[in-house]
Amino acid sequence: MLLFILKRLFISIPVIFILATLTFCIMRVTPGGPFDKDKAIPPEIKANIEAKYHLDKPTFINTPAFYKKKWIHVLTETQYFYYMKGLAQGDLGPSYKYLGRSVTDIILDSLPVSVELGFYAALILAAYKHNTWIDNAAMFTAISGITLPSFLVAALLIYIFSIKMAWLPAGLWDGGWEYKILPTIALGLRPVAIIARLMRTSMLDVIKADYVRTARAKGLNEVWVILKHVVKNSLIPVITISGPLLAGIITGSFVIEHVFAIPGIAKHFILAVTNRDYTLIMGVTLVYAVLLIIANILVDVFYALVDPRIKLS
Amino acid sequence: MKKYSWIAVILLIVGLMLYAKPWSKKSLPSNEFRFVIVSEPPTLDWSLATDNVSADIIFNLMEGLVQYDANLNVQPALAEKWDISKDGLHYTFYLRKDVTWSDGKPLTAQDFVDGWQRLLDPKTASEYAYFLFDVKNAQDYNSKKISDFNQVGVHAKDDHTLVIDLWHPASYFLTLHAFWATFPLRKDIVEKFGAPQWTEPQNIVTCGPFKLKAWEHDYKVVLEANPLYYGPKPKVQLATAYIINEDSTALSLYETGKVDLIRRIPPLLIAKYKNHPDHKNGPFLRGYYYGMNVLKKPFSDVRVRKAFSMAIDRTQLTTLLGGNQIPTTSWIPKGMQGYEPEIGLKFDLDKAKLLLAQAGYPNGAGFPQIKMAYDTRDDNKVIAESLQQQWKQNLNIELTIENQEWKVYIKQLQTDAPPLWRLGWGADFPDPDNFLNLFTSYSGNNLTRWKNKSYDALIEAGAKELDISKRLPIYHKAQKLLTEEEAPIIPLFIDAQNVLIKPYIHGYALNAMSINILKNVEIHK
Repeated sequence: MLLFILKRLFISIPVIFILATLTFCIMRVTPGGPFDKDKAIPPEIKANIEAKYHLDKPTFINTPAFYKKKWIHVLTETQYFYYMKGLAQGDLGPSYKYLGRSVTDIILDSLPVSVELGFYAALILAAYKHNTWIDNAAMFTAISGITLPSFLVAALLIYIFSIKMAWLPAGLWDGGWEYKILPTIALGLRPVAIIARLMRTSMLDVIKADYVRTARAKGLNEVWVILKHVVKNSLIPVITISGPLLAGIITGSFVIEHVFAIPGIAKHFILAVTNRDYTLIMGVTLVYAVLLIIANILVDVFYALVDPRIKLS
Repeated sequence: MKKYSWIAVILLIVGLMLYAKPWSKKSLPSNEFRFVIVSEPPTLDWSLATDNVSADIIFNLMEGLVQYDANLNVQPALAEKWDISKDGLHYTFYLRKDVTWSDGKPLTAQDFVDGWQRLLDPKTASEYAYFLFDVKNAQDYNSKKISDFNQVGVHAKDDHTLVIDLWHPASYFLTLHAFWATFPLRKDIVEKFGAPQWTEPQNIVTCGPFKLKAWEHDYKVVLEANPLYYGPKPKVQLATAYIINEDSTALSLYETGKVDLIRRIPPLLIAKYKNHPDHKNGPFLRGYYYGMNVLKKPFSDVRVRKAFSMAIDRTQLTTLLGGNQIPTTSWIPKGMQGYEPEIGLKFDLDKAKLLLAQAGYPNGAGFPQIKMAYDTRDDNKVIAESLQQQWKQNLNIELTIENQEWKVYIKQLQTDAPPLWRLGWGADFPDPDNFLNLFTSYSGNNLTRWKNKSYDALIEAGAKELDISKRLPIYHKAQKLLTEEEAPIIPLFIDAQNVLIKPYIHGYALNAMSINILKNVEIHK
């Protein structure tokens, strides 16, 4: 199994580089750059800024170097090469919006907050799975959890618990537990709902299977039938989806963090794009990619644990 | 046993939450003022800052040679007095002798020279370096034509005398010293910690009424009264700026008493809060206009431009917005010298129709299909739709509306502007030059592509004239040319500030530049 994990991690390195390249291309194609503003900058000042961030270099291919026959510079004196070189050394570069702050710092400051919130939301998930008794009530929550967009859920929670009842703060992240309850519920509701629905459908399928009938015919205790034969076998689709779901929870939700003014990483997924903060866009995209890759590897490992027919190779 | 496992999990959650920060329900100190800023300050480095959010903090950490009073008149600050030579080319500032930096070192004239050198250094890549381009050789130093900073026209004559030489007289030059880019700087601190680390709370050294106590990125900035400040000490011990991007969240936090001041109410909610006792309103030196691309048909014809401007009832727009914006047909905003509401093309349907007919489009017949563009925002949409409807009704001209995301939009205006588009302009300093310069033929911000030599000449003459009574007639002429005779723009209204501030907060004065001054704030609960 260790070999399998190592192999998967090794394969993911080129995946990350391809992803970085694609993101890089899409960003440069999008109109508007980090320093385009309504107040025009004199050309000499613009030149200084572009030089500082290597934006004065050609994007992919340095044609002037080609004519000067400096062959190596054709590929190395480019924005793409500078970025990739930094990336290979683990340097995500400076942000263009938060002048000079390193993208690594921004991510290290904001990711833990999102992870903390995601952890609480995941706990709700864990609490739920143990409770087959909630079924009917849960289905109501589940359906509303899927259909209600999270900004509405968040707004409703704020309206009821902060403005009307004044029990809990309407936002901020000041350390105390009272700040964590509403965003946790708002963030956790949707994944819980998705998993609950999926689990239910999957269990209904399995419960009709022949081996369940056999188990019952053998006279096994009903609880044992459900736990050992039904739940375990219906976990496969749930595990499949929980990987990406978990990565999503950990990186947080833009809406939730925005509405509750939580200093997490999720807002950078949107704001970095509106600011055309190239390096920050790359940074958060890569963080998300790495989390997804890890989550998917975990999913595969869990498959093997749940279903002995699946072999990791 | 399994039955109770869920209880165990819930207990675990509660336990963890309590463990995270036990008993954090501490009561707030009553001398903490809490306000909202709308984004993370992009930087607190005043050589690099270009935006209002950074300014909200910097203006409380630092001061310049001069500062504005509530009516935006220039008052002494770090300089106690100054001399200006008769030809307007030489400035001598005499610094106060009782100013110390927050680490106890005295402020010297050299700190200004160091600050300006850093601002102009091409390696700093400061966007606002051009604020000093009136200073001798400053532009050449910035564009690497000269490398010796001693040739630049700023020198410390002694510890408390700063001497500045300009290329040409600049009537607005004094006001620039109230602007953050020109503030002094501790070179030793910047060199010791490097950028951007030198602006972190444990490193930064400042000389304003507050010190930087904490900066939790993306969450809050905490200011603390500076005991070494030369002036009267701030009345509040702490001022906390919460970073809240979402206006409705800020509003909920205000309503639930978590913050004391919000300075942006969602545009479409202003009408609802207009009669709220906490609501305060004030003018804002910011103009809202539609520009026309004069290189493209049909707006290459001045008669069409005038007809469009005359066919708008601007009060309809301000009524829709409901935030006490002031309808305007002239360009210099109220609150700035040179404001003359009589100038400009007034709402006059008959004349508009006549002009349109003369231009070859009687009652809108044969008018080409054109689009009007705006950047995606609620209030812009409301304005665009109202204008579309007014032009349809008044001139029988059907326009299509197109909106784009801000960066895409601004890029398009700069490269290939559509026939009709919206923009705003906020003052960098409260001088008419800052507003009128915008439409000179050499301004990078003139997206109308309108070029007029007499207009350029007027603006240059205004900048060189130091006597305000002689300057105003020049600007009067320039405004007439811009908004009446040539009309490349349609001024619509002057923006307003709408804030909510708790009744127990005293001493927070609104000014038309929306500069956030906290040193006089008092809390009486």
